[in-house]
Amino acid sequence: MIPKKCNDLITHLLRRAGFGATISEMEQYSRLEYKEIVDRLLDFRDSSYIADDVIYRDHVDLHSSRSGLPAYWGYRILSTNNPLEEKMALFWHGVFATGNSKLNNLRSLLNQIDMFREYSLSKFDDILLELSKDPAMLIWLDNQDNHKDAINENYGREILELFSMGVGNYSEDDIKECSRAFTGWTITNPEYMSLMSQKDSIWPYGRIVWHYNFDDVDHDSGEKVFLGESGNFNGEDVVKIICNQQATANFVARHLYNFFVADEVPVPQWGVTPPKDPEAIDELAKAYFTYDHNIGSMIKVLFNSDFFKKSIGEKVKSPTELVFGTLRLSGEYNDQSKIGSGIYGALAEAGFMGQELTNPPSVEGWHTGEEWITSGALVDRVNFASSHLSDAKNEGVKEIIDKTITEVGERCTIEQLANSCSYALGILELSNETSAGITELLESESVEIDRDGLIDIDENTIISTLKLIVSSREYQIC
Amino acid sequence: MKFLKTIGITSNQPVGRGFNFPYDLAINHHGESELILYMLNRGPSNSNGATRIQYFTLNEKWLGEFGHNEVGLERLSRPVAMAFNGNQILFVTDEASDEIKLFDSEGNFTRAINVKDMNDPDSLEPVGPAGITIDSHNNIFVVSRYGNFVQKLDEGGNPVDQWGSKGTGISEFNMPWGLDVDSQGNVYVADWRNDRIQKFDSKGNFIKILGKTGSKPGEFNRPSSVSANALGQIAVADWGNERVQILDADGYCLQVLEGSSELSLWSKEWLDANLDEKNARSRANLKDFNLPKHLNSAYHRASQIEHKFWGPVSVKFDLSDRLYVTEHSRHRLQVFEIE
Repeated sequence: MIPKKCNDLITHLLRRAGFGATISEMEQYSRLEYKEIVDRLLDFRDSSYIADDVIYRDHVDLHSSRSGLPAYWGYRILSTNNPLEEKMALFWHGVFATGNSKLNNLRSLLNQIDMFREYSLSKFDDILLELSKDPAMLIWLDNQDNHKDAINENYGREILELFSMGVGNYSEDDIKECSRAFTGWTITNPEYMSLMSQKDSIWPYGRIVWHYNFDDVDHDSGEKVFLGESGNFNGEDVVKIICNQQATANFVARHLYNFFVADEVPVPQWGVTPPKDPEAIDELAKAYFTYDHNIGSMIKVLFNSDFFKKSIGEKVKSPTELVFGTLRLSGEYNDQSKIGSGIYGALAEAGFMGQELTNPPSVEGWHTGEEWITSGALVDRVNFASSHLSDAKNEGVKEIIDKTITEVGERCTIEQLANSCSYALGILELSNETSAGITELLESESVEIDRDGLIDIDENTIISTLKLIVSSREYQIC
Repeated sequence: MKFLKTIGITSNQPVGRGFNFPYDLAINHHGESELILYMLNRGPSNSNGATRIQYFTLNEKWLGEFGHNEVGLERLSRPVAMAFNGNQILFVTDEASDEIKLFDSEGNFTRAINVKDMNDPDSLEPVGPAGITIDSHNNIFVVSRYGNFVQKLDEGGNPVDQWGSKGTGISEFNMPWGLDVDSQGNVYVADWRNDRIQKFDSKGNFIKILGKTGSKPGEFNRPSSVSANALGQIAVADWGNERVQILDADGYCLQVLEGSSELSLWSKEWLDANLDEKNARSRANLKDFNLPKHLNSAYHRASQIEHKFWGPVSVKFDLSDRLYVTEHSRHRLQVFEIE
């Protein structure tokens, strides 16, 4: 089992940078220094995951743009050896929230997720520029209707309000000038493609996936005044100006803090509610300029900061973190040659809990923190974790059982058993209240405690303990 | 070969005309004038209701369907491939149940053959019957996806021979998929994850390997299906490269087909009833445009250019050497003929 001194910060990092860790992963990471782990997580070059061809052979629907494609992303999250790559994609998916409920073209949306993977740690200017050319985003915010002689302000407004600077840092005129700069930024065959999208039409031969097209004739190349600067700006120029603003640095910093450190209030309240930790936001915003707007460098500063290391337990797991963290622990998808179709059900469960991948509720993305925990969602969360981590046939559960028996032997106290199981589940310490509850419930299940406080350890007792722990508050937070 | 026609249209319904992830074609030769095509619809993974077999003529006269929403032995769970024997019995592999299901030409279920590893018949490990073909003597050849072998069964479905194991060497396979038998009885196997076609004689003796990993002519990326015609040509569904290759008997690439689809009869009828889409479509350029570099892979090209193959999963020659290419992600059938 992992020594506790190694466990604390590393499990915290792996919960936040990824989806938690199995015992084997913990054993591997515990051989490294904390900073080395951060560096390794930030290096996506050696990322490996289940091969596309295997997914497509088993799930023909995931090959096309018809249906089910979030399951494709699910397989990537489950099988990747570098979960930060998927976590970053999830982060940007929440910030630049784009929903298939309007697009009706899932492959185009997953191409956006691919773009996030490729650019997620890059210079923010590059991310924002790629986003502005992303076909799913263009249709999502109607930029195919943003014409030289009749601007549509939807994208021009949101890039400032929700994607970079935040309300209060620009004027209505800036929105108009920004929109003018993005005229002509569209997709190929915008009329036919947007009609198919609006009608959710798959006829005659399935969906046609979109790609960016710049329509020079429809672009307003005239002079513009934007955020105090003037010139014949196009979209590239506007992105550069946006990315040089202090407000943008603060905005990106707060998003990173909210996703990786501690839950903040929803984005629309940021203009009136100060950050939970202003010094942390300042430190991250400073890193934004020190490292030339590079997101990877900001993430490195964040993970190595004191405010991150002190933030254990200050976030509520999102449904995606809870569902895929649980499935990675259970190991039930480890045999990639026989992947089955249970992933569809798992994604549906995350949706019932409030987070349907590729379908954020609005352009604001998902609200986080305690808003995840409704009474209905809590029951779903507990039932999901309990059912998947109580099946001893699952490879990961078997590993937990074997390691627990190795550590505690054939007899131990309930406290020792609970601690051993909680470490295996990536939880640090159980509260006294939870420990007392576990003792009480195990006693009620007729577990016999001898005069020395010891109980017999077998598979059933361990599974009962696992079920109780994943039902606790500690498993819901990270 | 030159493009002849397109058959089909997509469908999101579990019944009726239109394809829902078509996966393999079987051709029933009653004689040239009565040639009937049977299309296996795999359906999406999370909705078994769309799984079914439809039959229709080359002129797109829809005749009927069967195999959907069944229970019991006739239920198709994860069907992969189909073939007719000389008695007009349709054999359908199902990799979920490790069975071959038999239907008559009108879709009446007759029985199921359980496929087992001859070397370990008591094993509980899945076999995963995938590609299937039947020779002129009604011998059945089936590929095991999980067991990595080819099995020969007699007309009654009794296993009589088997060869192959997992690996990358000669007579070894990695998740094989389709197969076919030529007029001399030679067996061609689409050795899917080894990116090659292996050729054997009718007794399983290795003859040669065709192709290797790559995207140049004569190279493959996950070939899923193979078909041999009477002219000695071999068609390969080069699935991962989103194309079909026509090889000579030595494996030399004679032609690369990338798809040439035009509107099928069913599609024209649908567009005539949906004039807004027909008009918008008529103003769109669906063929000639430059793709951005990061979306210029074979997969992305296929996903964005409608007339090209997208998911060409199955190739079949008929007795007139017409070639039928089934595309699971464009939900249609493209037909080619000898020039």
